[in-house]
Amino acid sequence: MKENAPRLLSKSVTLDGVGKSFGEVRVLRNLVLEAQPGEFLVLLGESGCGKTTALRIIAGLETASEGRVWIGEQDVTDRLPKERDVAMVFQSYALYPHKTVAQNIAYPLVVRRVPEAEVAARVKEVAQSVQLGQLLERYPRQLSGGQRQRVALARAIVRRPSVFLMDEPLSNLDAKLRGHMRAELKHMQYRLGVTTIYVTHDQVEAMTLAHRVALLDKGVLQQLDTPARIYSDPANLFVAGFIGSPPMNFLKGRLADGAFEAPGVRVPAADRSRQARVVMGVRPEDCTLADPAGGQLRGQVYSIELIGDHTLVTVLVGEQEVVVKAANTFEARMGDTVALRVNAGRVYFFDADSGARIR
Amino acid sequence: MKPSSLGDVFDRQARAAFVLPSVLIILAFSIFPLLVSAYLSLVRFQIAPGGYTLHFVGWSNYRKLLFGSEQFHFLGTFGEVGALEWTLIGAAALWLLAAFVRYLRGGAWSLAGLAGRLLATAGLLAVAVLCAYTTGGAGRLGSFTVTLFYVTAGVAAQFLIGLGLAYLCTLPVRGRWFFRMVFFLPLMVTPVGIAYMFRMIADTTVGPLAPVWNAVGLRQISWAADPWLARIVVVIGDTWQWVPFMFIVLLAALESQPRDQIEAAQLDGAGGWRIFRDITWPSIAPVAASVVLIRLIEAFKIVDLPNVLTNGGPGIATESMTLHSFIAWRTLDLGGSAAVAYMLFFASTICCVSFFHFVVRAARRAQGA
Amino acid sequence: MKPLRRLLAARRLDELAPAQKFVVYAPLLAWTAIVLFPLYWVIVTSLKEPIDVADGPYYIPFVDFRPSLHAWKYIFFDLGRDTLRPYLNSVIVSSAATLVAVLIGAMAAYGLARMEYRPSVGSVLLFVAAIALAALMSFWGGVDWRLALLAGLAIFAIALRMLGRRFRRRLANHDILFWVISQRILPPVVTAIPIYLMFKELGLLDTHSALIITYATVNLPIVVWLMYDFFCAVPRELEESAQIDGASRLRIFFDVALALVRPGLVATSLLVLILCWNEYLLALFLSTVEAQTMPLLVAAQNATRGPQWWYMSVLIIIMILPVIALTLLLQRFITKGLLVGAIKG
Repeated sequence: MKENAPRLLSKSVTLDGVGKSFGEVRVLRNLVLEAQPGEFLVLLGESGCGKTTALRIIAGLETASEGRVWIGEQDVTDRLPKERDVAMVFQSYALYPHKTVAQNIAYPLVVRRVPEAEVAARVKEVAQSVQLGQLLERYPRQLSGGQRQRVALARAIVRRPSVFLMDEPLSNLDAKLRGHMRAELKHMQYRLGVTTIYVTHDQVEAMTLAHRVALLDKGVLQQLDTPARIYSDPANLFVAGFIGSPPMNFLKGRLADGAFEAPGVRVPAADRSRQARVVMGVRPEDCTLADPAGGQLRGQVYSIELIGDHTLVTVLVGEQEVVVKAANTFEARMGDTVALRVNAGRVYFFDADSGARIR
Repeated sequence: MKPSSLGDVFDRQARAAFVLPSVLIILAFSIFPLLVSAYLSLVRFQIAPGGYTLHFVGWSNYRKLLFGSEQFHFLGTFGEVGALEWTLIGAAALWLLAAFVRYLRGGAWSLAGLAGRLLATAGLLAVAVLCAYTTGGAGRLGSFTVTLFYVTAGVAAQFLIGLGLAYLCTLPVRGRWFFRMVFFLPLMVTPVGIAYMFRMIADTTVGPLAPVWNAVGLRQISWAADPWLARIVVVIGDTWQWVPFMFIVLLAALESQPRDQIEAAQLDGAGGWRIFRDITWPSIAPVAASVVLIRLIEAFKIVDLPNVLTNGGPGIATESMTLHSFIAWRTLDLGGSAAVAYMLFFASTICCVSFFHFVVRAARRAQGA
Repeated sequence: MKPLRRLLAARRLDELAPAQKFVVYAPLLAWTAIVLFPLYWVIVTSLKEPIDVADGPYYIPFVDFRPSLHAWKYIFFDLGRDTLRPYLNSVIVSSAATLVAVLIGAMAAYGLARMEYRPSVGSVLLFVAAIALAALMSFWGGVDWRLALLAGLAIFAIALRMLGRRFRRRLANHDILFWVISQRILPPVVTAIPIYLMFKELGLLDTHSALIITYATVNLPIVVWLMYDFFCAVPRELEESAQIDGASRLRIFFDVALALVRPGLVATSLLVLILCWNEYLLALFLSTVEAQTMPLLVAAQNATRGPQWWYMSVLIIIMILPVIALTLLLQRFITKGLLVGAIKG
């Protein structure tokens, strides 16, 4: 990609208490978030969590049932999509099958009555920057998945909008290409410096691309933070369980006598107050196998999976499973009794009923 | 952004602008004439010096059709009804009664549903009695019963033949493309042309089938002079034209059903007939019901074939309701013409709506669609 | 036993046993004959001298009888203009009616497939009442119909302003769709007389415009119904993308939506074209001489000098040929397009 492309005028995006209902179903509740100019903000969540609806409300394809939407200094809640100065890349790319690549890229300019000569020049420039220069006369059906993806991107860039909206743009690519396009996307966003709001269900995409991640569940914002903090400082049980692969281990038990207790478990927690129903969370990489005498958790080996650079060991502690990331040299037989220690500084406690973090 | 461009103006009104042309055209050329027609059916039209006059005569036009001087023309001439017919009608009544009781005991009945079923049942029974009276003994059909005959016989024949041909075409046969092209042809022939074609073909003296008639000693028979033969020729012409429609739609339905179900049944050891009855038929039933409905709607409008083929004759024996109405209009009986047209409208609406509710909906429900 | 078994059982699943073959091919070939023979007979008859027809059936030209082009000559040269005029009328009327019906029908179908309509029952009734009032004014009051229409619309606008907020019950898209489609149940003969009177008032009897607008109305429900299904089958994202890119609704409709449903559009147009081309009853009501269409000309052959089969055959052939040619030309669209709507029912 060329490095000397003009940096675009970028605007902030603000959602102020946005909610959306379809009939009786509330898909979005009181969403408050702000993307700074030039920020890469990822909306993350499972399908049906409301992330796509939020994106479509920003685009103007849906109207919010409540709340306001601001782009830059302008309240755009009641504006048509075309008046919002946003560009969107769809999951299916939404390329026009009856138009060539060049016509596809030019379309946003043509409908805005940009002079022909300028259209041609800009299409050419943008096509070069995403390496489509040779394919301008092809039709979308003659392109590979990755090439179609680039056309969709080019069509979004060519308009020089102040906000990019992307709805799972990488989910139709195969795994290898996805990794490659992820890097390109990140570089392009850095180069253009345009505020980008990106919807995905893939936590790896979210963690690698985002300046900040907004994690949604059932239409409610759970946490809005940098990837590092979302990982190391989850706000609640849902966030802790969503981020991380393999996911965080959860053990049900109680806090009493300066320790967390469950069948087969006793982890010191001196500064915590007593509480009867607690979930303790610890990530697989924060557990280590210890000699049977000094272990904080005791259990039987349930399964062993060699991944390559490490081994995942599932240990049955009482009736609860704990996954441990062990060295790839680890050797044991199924059913062996083992002991585990946890990294005391990386243990999280949650209220078992509300899911809230106990700090 | 210039909010004043034409596109933007249209955009603000887009919803109305897309639908209004259609709605206005239908209001102007469909609904408005329908209302005028309703009024016309209640008047007597008379040529007067310098124009015409309309006398309001109430239900008189309808009364004439149902009970008065035009009864023979519309409903038919009544003959005697034998014990057999009465038994059949009684059986039909009992069956309808049973369906009614089942509906009421099903619990989920509504006022509209009840009214609709009452209307459909009453209509069906009335038609059954009418058919018994007009076919028995010295009875003759009127345009109403003739139209019903065209509709039921024609649509049934078209459906059965179309389904049969479509099913055969799904088997591993050679030249499927050829059959498909050829079977499609009659749909493109103008009905007026079909009428003449069948007049030529059905000619027993110089038509192509004359040797056959000669051989079986029927050379002297004149089908055009026999009411039933003439009606059957009309139905044959109609069937020739409309089998293709049934054929292509049912063929598409048959071809779009998942192969794996049939293959599973074959592995389970089911024979051809069982597979058709248990798997194929249920899966195409909704389409079959829809396509029959479409044909029902169109079949009620039949006019070109009887008009050109037999000119409605012998006598009034092949007159359809549309033709009846047209002839009344020709003789300047505007009120009578509108009344016949309205009776056709009622009959076709009641029949099609009932069919939609009791057959199409049922077929779709059975498939869970 | 062995030959019998071979006769009744196929060796492979995708093959028919000899006995089955007969059962399958016999009806298929029989129906092929039933379809083709009348068409063949028409072609042959068009080549016969009157004497060859009257003397009983002759089947094969050159063998049974000497073919002659006299009927073709008569229709094309002796009648010349009298054939050409109805033919041109048919071409003009059916193509224009198809264009109108498909254009506004597709627009309505698109609107119903993509946008939300919630007209209140009250305002619809109000509108109908206002129009009825206008009709009464012009019919009995002797007011000029344009003036009456204007007055009716004004009354509607004022009444809607006053009462609009009170209407609660609303219709939805499927109500409108059902209403439009259900117009197809209406037998044309019911509306034919009022339409005749209407065009008589307007002085448009026996003109192309009268036939065009009537045919377009009659076929509108088919267009809306089929096109609605086609539009529903197209992914929304393409149009949404165009919307964000700044295209207006109208532009999206012509630039994107119509292009995406082209197979359906072509199939629908062809169907409507065939229906208009063959229409008989309404033409009988609305045209006499100037706007006479082909079906009327064909039908009229009988009336004057008894059935002259040779001339009729020529007319029938020249009516069928363009339809067959068009269908062959657009075949790939039809197989793709025509069935979708019917299948979904």
